[in-house]
Order: sequence, then C-alpha cells, then structure tokens
Amino acid sequence: MASNSWQFAGADDESDDDNFNPAPADMSDEENNDNDEETTHNHRPAGKTVRQASSPGNRRKRRNKDRRAAFFDIEAEVDDEDEGEDEVGDGEEIEDFIDNAHPDDIADSGRLNDDRRHRELDRRREMEASLDAEKQAEILRERYGKRAPARGYGDMAIVPRRLLLPSVEDPSIWAVRCKEGKEREVIFSIMRRIEERMGTKNEVPITAAFERGGINSVMKGYIYVEAQRQNDILVALDGILNVYPRSNMHLVEIKDMPDLLRVIKTPNLEPGAWVRLKKPAKHVGDLAQVIDVTENGLEARVRFIPRLDYGVRDDPVFQADGKRKRPGVPGPRPPQRLFSEAEARKRHPRYLQGNPQTNSWNYNGDDFENGFQVKDIKIQQLEVKDVNPTLEEVTKFASGAEDGTENLDLKALAATLKDSAKSVAYVPGDIIEVYEGEQQGVIGKATNVQGDIVTLQVTEGDLAGRTIDVPNKGLRKRFRIGDHVKVIGGSRFRDEVGMVVKIVDDRVTLLTDQTNTEITVFSKDLREASDIGGQGSLGQYSLLDLVQLDATTVGCIVKVDRESVVVLDQNGDTKQVQPSQITNKLPKRKFAVAADRNGSEIRLDDVVREYGGQQRQGKIIHIHRSYIFLHTTTTNENAGVFVTRANSVTTVAAKGGRNTATAGPDLSAMNPALKRNPAASGKQMPAPRTFGPDRAINQTVVIRRGGYKGLLGIVKDTTDTHARVELHSRGKIITIPKADLSFKDKVTGKTIDINQRGGSRGGFGGGGRGGGEFGSRTPMASGGSDRTPAWGSSRSTARTPAWNRDAGGSRTPAWNDGSRTVNPYDGSRTPYGGATAYGGIGSRTPAWHSGSRTPAPDSFGHGSKTPAWSAGSDSWGSKTPGYGASAPTPGASGDTWGYTPGASGGGNSSSAYDAPTPGGGLSAPTPGAALNAPTPGAYSAPTPAAVSAPTPGAWQGGWGSGGDAVSAPTPGALGAPTPGGAPGYADDD
Amino acid sequence: MSENYVAPGQQRYLRACMVCSIVMTYARFRDEGCPNCEDFLHLQGSPDQIDSCTSQVFEGIITIANPQKSWVAKWQRLDGYVKGVYATKVSGQLPDDVRTTLEDDGIQYIPRDGSATEAD
Repeated sequence: MASNSWQFAGADDESDDDNFNPAPADMSDEENNDNDEETTHNHRPAGKTVRQASSPGNRRKRRNKDRRAAFFDIEAEVDDEDEGEDEVGDGEEIEDFIDNAHPDDIADSGRLNDDRRHRELDRRREMEASLDAEKQAEILRERYGKRAPARGYGDMAIVPRRLLLPSVEDPSIWAVRCKEGKEREVIFSIMRRIEERMGTKNEVPITAAFERGGINSVMKGYIYVEAQRQNDILVALDGILNVYPRSNMHLVEIKDMPDLLRVIKTPNLEPGAWVRLKKPAKHVGDLAQVIDVTENGLEARVRFIPRLDYGVRDDPVFQADGKRKRPGVPGPRPPQRLFSEAEARKRHPRYLQGNPQTNSWNYNGDDFENGFQVKDIKIQQLEVKDVNPTLEEVTKFASGAEDGTENLDLKALAATLKDSAKSVAYVPGDIIEVYEGEQQGVIGKATNVQGDIVTLQVTEGDLAGRTIDVPNKGLRKRFRIGDHVKVIGGSRFRDEVGMVVKIVDDRVTLLTDQTNTEITVFSKDLREASDIGGQGSLGQYSLLDLVQLDATTVGCIVKVDRESVVVLDQNGDTKQVQPSQITNKLPKRKFAVAADRNGSEIRLDDVVREYGGQQRQGKIIHIHRSYIFLHTTTTNENAGVFVTRANSVTTVAAKGGRNTATAGPDLSAMNPALKRNPAASGKQMPAPRTFGPDRAINQTVVIRRGGYKGLLGIVKDTTDTHARVELHSRGKIITIPKADLSFKDKVTGKTIDINQRGGSRGGFGGGGRGGGEFGSRTPMASGGSDRTPAWGSSRSTARTPAWNRDAGGSRTPAWNDGSRTVNPYDGSRTPYGGATAYGGIGSRTPAWHSGSRTPAPDSFGHGSKTPAWSAGSDSWGSKTPGYGASAPTPGASGDTWGYTPGASGGGNSSSAYDAPTPGGGLSAPTPGAALNAPTPGAYSAPTPAAVSAPTPGAWQGGWGSGGDAVSAPTPGALGAPTPGGAPGYADDD
Repeated sequence: MSENYVAPGQQRYLRACMVCSIVMTYARFRDEGCPNCEDFLHLQGSPDQIDSCTSQVFEGIITIANPQKSWVAKWQRLDGYVKGVYATKVSGQLPDDVRTTLEDDGIQYIPRDGSATEAD
C-alpha cells in the first residue's frame, strides 16, 4: 500500500509537469498508469470540481482537471488559463506551498462526504502513521523534491538576475581560509557533514558553501560559506580537515557577493586553433591543432606531430634486474617526427594497419594521418589559453603540404596569438597603430609603457599631438613599406633583418638582407632595425662556434644560413652541414694552451702570425689539439677564419701583455742545474718557508682597514693570507686579511714588525708569507740589520739574493752588483718576488736593465733582453745572468758565503753575478765547452771541458747550446753578439 | 546517509549536469538519473545521454544545504532543486536536440558555461 501511495505522489508530479507544459505526449501513459495502479483514485474526478473552487492553489486539482480535459475540451481550456495565473502566484512562494499543500490536501479531502474517499483517507493516514519518521521524510522529499524543479524553471524564466541581487535579509557569506588545492575536498566534507547531521539535533546551520579554486584562480585558498551568523560557520566547519575557520574569516560584503559567483565563459575551441597538450606524458607541451570539436564542446580531435621511437626502446622495459620499468617515469622522449610508415613496418609490421592511398594509418592503436598523429582529447587535457605557438612550430604543421608551399593558416594563428597579449612587448619609440576599439585607426608613437597600458603620442590624424592611453590589446606595430626591420622574436626568423615589402593587416612580408628571400612575420615580432644583416645563429650554433663533426673532425662555423651552417674544418676545408650533422658543440676552453713554433705558450685571443706560407696574422679563437683557428679582419673569406697548426705560428702579441718571449717553457723543468741538484731546486722556487706557528699569532694588532678599522685585537689564528683576530672591544673573533693588520707592541703600543724579533729565525725572514701579501711591508725590509752573511748562508739555501739584499745590511759589493736589479722591487715586491727576477719574469723592468744592461743587447733591438739572456741563447732567453748566477742558490750566495764551487768557480763572486757582462758571459765559454757540454751533465762537470769551464759564462754557454737543441731558435738571429760567443753557436747550429 | 559525499579518489568520475549543474558521479547519474532534470533528460541508465548532457569540465563546487534559504542557490537559480553539490560553471553545450526538447517543454534553459552571464 505504501508503494501505491508513493506512486500516487509520483504520478501526481508527472501530471503537474504535463499540466504545466502543455504538450503532454506521454500524458496518456501517465493516466493509464494511474488508472491501472490506483484504482482507489478513480472516484476522484467527481469531487474535484468542488475542491478546485475552494483551493485554487492546490496542485492535485490539476491532475483531475487534466483527466477531465480528455473529455471536456472547453472546460479544460478555461481551467488552463486559471492555472497559469495560479502558477505565477505560486511561484513566488514555494515554501508556503510546500508547507501548506499537504495538510490542505488532507483537509480538503476530509471535507468531502464521499465514504469511499473517507475510507481511502483513513487508510492512508494509518499507513503513513505506521511508517517511521525517516521513511516519511523520504517520501515527502521525494514528493516535493521532484516537484520543485519543474516549478523552478518557471521562476527562472521570469526573474532576471538583477532582481536576485543579495539583500540584507539574505544570509551572509564568509570567506574561510583553507588549504590550497583542497577546496573541493573541503566542500564535499561539508556536504557529508550536512547530510550526516540532517534531521538530528545539531543540524549544520549553514545554507551553502562553495569554492572557486583552481590552479590559476585568484580565489584559491579560500572557501566561501553562507550562513546567517558567523558562529554557525564555526560550528559547521569545526573539525573538518584542511579548513581553518578560526584563523581568519572575512565577511564578504553584500555588493561583492555576486562577483564571487561570476562565471566567465571559456572561449570555444574552433577547428584550426592551436592548443597545447597536457595529457599524454610523452607530448606534454607539444603544439597541436584542433581538427574538430565534438558537439558538446568537451572533446576535440587534434593533430600533432608524433613522438615515436618505433619500438627501438621497447626492449629495456624489462630491465636487467627483471624489474619492470615504472611506467610513470618515461625516459627521454623521442623527438617529434612525422609518422613514417617504413619505420613502423620495420619493427612492428603487425601493429600497423592503414591505407597508403589516404596516408592514414593505425599503428599501435594510434591514428596517423599524413604523418600527424590524430587523437580525440578531452578539453581539460588541452591548454587553450596562452598557447603562443611560434612560427617555427606552426610551420612544421604547414610543411605537411607536399609541394612545400606554405599553406599556413595565419588567420587562425593570429587569432590564437591575439589572446596572449602579454607576449607583445611595446617599447617606447615604437610606432603603433590602434586597430580595435574606440580609438581605432589612431597612429602614434609609444612614449610610455606601463603594464598593459601604452601611452601614445598621436602623430597622424585629427588627434595629432595629443597623448592618449590605450590598452595594448588592440594595438599593433606599424611599419611602412621600405622600412628596415629586424625580427625580434617569437618566430624562427628571429634576428633576420630585412626590408618591408608588403603589409597585410598585421602580417608583414620582408625581404631579408642576408638571403634575399621573402619571409612573412607578425608585426609584433618586428622592430625597426638599426643594424644590417643578422648575426646568425641556428639553434644552439652560432657564428665562430667550434663544433665536432665526427670523431676526428672539428670545425669552426663560418656562416650560418637558415637551415644549415658552413663549417671550416681543421683541414681547412669548408663544408655545408645541417645542424643535425653536428655531433656537438665544443665549449670554448678558456685556458687551452698551445705552444707556438718557438715553444712559447699561446692562448686564446693571442695574436699570432703564420711562420711560413701566407704569413697570415690573426687572433686565436679556438685551440683544438694542435690546430688553432684564427680570426682575422683583413679578409672576408670564411668570415675571416682560417685554421693552421699551432707549431707553425709565431706569437705577435699575447693577450694582456703576457710576456711570450720569456714566459715560455718552464724554466725550472729545463734547468739542468736544478735537475742536477734537486735539493737545491726544490728549495729554490717555492717561497721560503717558515716553520712552527705563525709569529703573528698572539700578537696584538690594530686593524687598519674596513669596518673594524682602528680596533685593537689579538691574533688568534692565521692562514697564509688571513688572520682571525679577537677584538678587545667586541669580544668576538673576526677574520681579516693580514694585510689589514698592523702589529703593535703589547706594552708600548708602538707599531712593530713581528718579524723583527724573528731576525734570529731566518726561516721566517723569507718573508714570502707575510711580505708576499703585504705589498710594501716586507717584514724583512726593516729586519735583520744585524744579519751577517754567514748567518744567511748557514740558514738556508733557499735564500735568494733579493732576500739577502733586502735583509742584509752586510751586503757584499759583489752581491749588490749582481742583484741590484732587485731594487725596483724593493718597494713593491717581496724579496721573494724579487727573486723572480732571475726567473725572468721581472727581468724586463727598467731597473733590471739599468742595473745590468750592457750595450750588446740593445744592438739586437731586444730591449728587454738582458745581456746574458741574449748572450746565452734565445731559447733560454729567460735566463738572466742573475738566474745563471743564482740558480743554484748556494752558488748565488756566491763566495760571500763561500759555498758553491760550481757556480762561483772562480771564487769570484762578482763573476757569478756579473755574468751578464759581455766579458763574463760571452767571452768565457770556449767553443769546446759549448759544444761538448750541452747536457746538464756538462754542468756537473764530468768532462774536462766542463771542468775547465767553471766560470759562469762557460756554464751558460753550455746551457745555451742545450736550449738550442731543444727549441731550435736561430742563434744566428739572436745570439752572437760577441765574436767570442758567435762561433760557438754558429757551430752548434 | 551521506549520499552526496564523494571521496577524493572518486572525484575524478564526477560529472555535472549541464542543465541544473548538479555534480554527481557518473555511476549515480547512471543509476539514479539527475534528481532535478530526470523528467526531460532521462539520464538514468543511458550512458549516451549522460555523455551528452553532463560534463566532466566544471568549476566551483557549491554545496547547497538549504536551497530555499540560500542566496547562493537563488543566484545560481538552484532554489527549488534538491540539496546537494552543484557547480558554478559547467563547460560544454547541450546537444541541439535536447535543447529543442527543452524549449518545446517550455523550460528555460540556462547555460551553465558562463555564456548567459553577459545577457543579464
């Protein structure tokens, strides 16, 4: 019986609809249903007329009326009109209706004097009473819930939105903070809570809640809850995850409420439009073109360039360890390439079906047409906004045409691009035309650009001279035919420069300077050009890059074309290659070093000249193995690039004034003296060491520079360059360069030199540590006035003459003589630095020359060469007399310390140091010595000749010849300043 | 009793009715039809109809606890519908034949995809 009654209610609803929408195709069905199932109601038509009069708002009457209508046409019509009026009245008070209808109904029926009706009513009441409350609620809901929508539509047609604007009577809306991205979950949680508590004592007191989340939404991170009171929200949201009603809750103002629910239509996709794919992981971000959109606009058929590997990478799915590769983590995705039937057939002939005529294929379940993959994709998996297709991408689609003609639909492309106004950047100075909106047709020069607003100084038309602000949406750059423009971006023609030959709307055709071809680009991608010709670059390759062509061939890019580059390879051949033929680009190795034919090191940017051949001169741009690529401005051939072998050039000028002449080979490595006496050599070059803790530690210092300037402290720890100083005043330890410290006497506060007291510690006296960093304040400068030579010699063999000279007041005349050159360094260099003088680096200082120059070198025109250098040999040029004399440091000590018989053989210190004098250097070597003792061994005097040549000069001669052998300079050119020396070298050669 | 609750894992199957914007899972549309529009959409048990008249693309979830009192419901023209979860925006268009049917039935169809907003 319950079902009967229910059915009754349902049928009632149906008939309501029919009544309301008078086209009751299925009405008869309903009627039949009623008749069949509800025989109990059959009596009703009789009594209905009465009821209708008494309660016009009653719904049930309509059903009866309908039933009558089947028989009485006229009456039915009249009734219908009544109903219409009723309907309007009803619509405004649905609630009332729902509340009242049912009791009304019953009461009405009760008034009838029909027995059967009474019985029926009684039975129904009984039955209803027997149902539990929940069921009853269910029934009521079913009955009225279903009825509502039909009525709702009537309302919607009538009430415009502006009449729905919120008023103070409406509940308020609060914005409640929630976790970003969890908005939807929160709303569903609220829904659940509402339903769970429905009908209980503590029903959720809110009326609605909503979210407007989404990745790009400005309203994310909030949900909006509608309730009468704020406290209701706290109750409703208490304990729901991810929402924070207690942190801060804003009341939304009434006038803002409609904005919360504003809906902006997503533009419909049109066939031909460009989109980007979001979904198949392999194709994320790929450009696709819409072919077709389903009727409901939810799915689009798109075509895109497939990324297929044709099964090449199938095998590693099962890896060596037997584990299946995780499908979610794809490897590097294959490049975009049009579908190739041949390749698909090669490995997977079984998976391939298709029709060669139409060029449409099905491979592995995917469809391909004309090489493009075609797929139905849901629009939520497409990126529709801000697609920004580049012309390059788009042309891939266009080039599908077999004749290669550009069948590009620029209109569709332009439409896509127009949406993304942000990609257009206007710069003050651009000539701009307004093509859309109220100001259409206005032409002006941009004077200011702020965000989306461009300020125009109007140059033409009625408004000329006025300044107007326009949004950059309806703007385009304006060019005239003949303008010289440059492509600035967004297309594969980037950086092309050319002349405008045609303008259609915002598409500009230009004739490029470089290739004399016509290209068409959007005006937004153009700028007035100031330069001519493009500095070409093709993908990652640009002009003058060094690239690897194959395992053995490298080349320098000397020309960049649209699709290819011209490469000058190491053999001097030029060839045109595609970027795909280039294995990789070789990064510029800044510190690549090669040796020129003289053995001098050459680096990038050095200027060198070919020794033979065309004597071309150029700047080194690449060094690759033994080849160097040079760039010259004297010719245009191959962009001025030529290639040669490193050992066939001579240095003309080294970058940054590096002394190529002397800073050639590693001297110490070739120095036979050092080889012979490794102990000496070991101590020769490195800075004199000190031993034990740094003396600076525990010294009281004043900081001389920086933020802590003037503060007093104690050195707690040091490194070579820095000291950690504990400040008296601040009680903290700072790290500060030693150079910024001034040492103070703990007691007197006078500035002291900590190394002074160290005079007894010769090791420290090396000063290389402190002095090296401190510039002029060489500790030793003031130290050791009491130092005796004997002390010096006994202390350390590593001591350099310079050091001695600085240090000692007890210089011997001989010493002074030889090392006077160090003088210039006195002020600015460390003693050890002075020592480098004999390493040859500092040997060019005037002082050096002034001290030791002899007339001879000048005659060679080698201003920088010390006599000994030139006298010795060019290859060993760096060897100055000083070097020669002092290289074996013990020897350097000379007879002053009476130490090395070898160097100072003559027992004559002055000869050791004066070696550079022509007399010493050049006349001393006998030809025999020079020739017979070219090896270090000679120096170690195993042969009589060597023995007989204990003078420095002789020794040098030996060296010189050795040098000749190695680097084969022409002594003839450089050497032979004296008759004495010349024969020897000449012979040697 | 919480029939309108959809667990996060199931939310991917949600669809919104293009007529009334109610949001339910596909399964519920199939099993029960649209609680508001079933009379003329006849979604129950007909997957094709569900596909064409409901949309997976919708934004802005609204839970309506009291359709009669809520201003949100009124504004969204959801008053008179059953309580439940609705969407502020439902993308997609009803098939033409369904629209015709609606018009013939005298039902004012309000597009839920935002195209109606400008009209007001």
